[in-house]
Amino acid sequence: STRFIALCPTSIPASAGEGVGLEEEQRCRSELRERFLRTLIKMTNKPVNFDMYEGVQVQAKFGASDIDVLNFQVSELQTPIGVQKEALLRCQDMISFSFDV
Amino acid sequence: TDKRTKAPPLERPGERRNAEMKRLYGEDAPRIQAMETAMQLNFDRNCDRLQPKYWPVIPLKL
Amino acid sequence: KKMKKKSKPPEWSAYLSKLVNVSAHNNHQYKGWVFTVDPVSASVVLVTFPEENQPRVQVVLGHAVESVEVVKDGNRGNTSRLASIFSSHGATDLST
Repeated sequence: STRFIALCPTSIPASAGEGVGLEEEQRCRSELRERFLRTLIKMTNKPVNFDMYEGVQVQAKFGASDIDVLNFQVSELQTPIGVQKEALLRCQDMISFSFDV
Repeated sequence: TDKRTKAPPLERPGERRNAEMKRLYGEDAPRIQAMETAMQLNFDRNCDRLQPKYWPVIPLKL
Repeated sequence: KKMKKKSKPPEWSAYLSKLVNVSAHNNHQYKGWVFTVDPVSASVVLVTFPEENQPRVQVVLGHAVESVEVVKDGNRGNTSRLASIFSSHGATDLST
């Protein structure tokens, strides 16, 4: 898939004899990915501040993310022009987001 | 052969995704896959139930 | 020590538990301890420990990241502190 291709930029050589390197890489990738997924899980139902492009700043209660981290489902989105009860935010629109734990 | 689609890998026939996951994550693939699947199911369920609309309507970054 | 856009997971792993400065789009600067770098989106997860407040998590999206510079190496103490924040039960215990 395109997602897979994007993830494996020449980093897994076709040649044999790199087995140890591959396993190490997989182990690192798993740890990094699991930590990221745990970060998103931790964010569930918390108020999150989003810094977006064009200087837009909003706050919302985080609900869930899709696995490709393209969209966030949020509630009580406080926009500059009012509150939207249920919303989807595009991760492409974001520069960063933050929350207290 | 592999067309660019917007569908998440989850929605594809499972075998290809399983192979990709195995290649990316090795022995940990089932655990990562389970976490991702749970997250996607949550997302789908919330979207079905709450019918959220994109904000802003037009993407900030095209 | 700047992160290249197409770093491999082992290179990203080298940032774990270190204090870094992330430069992002439009001169946004973020400083914090690295909890992880998502291998799918290249997003960087930073944690800060404000003195009188709860720990704060800041995620900088991979597409907005311009560079990552190491300010300080990690140590055992902050490695376990970082881990405990994200474990299922540790966080509430820590913050009370």
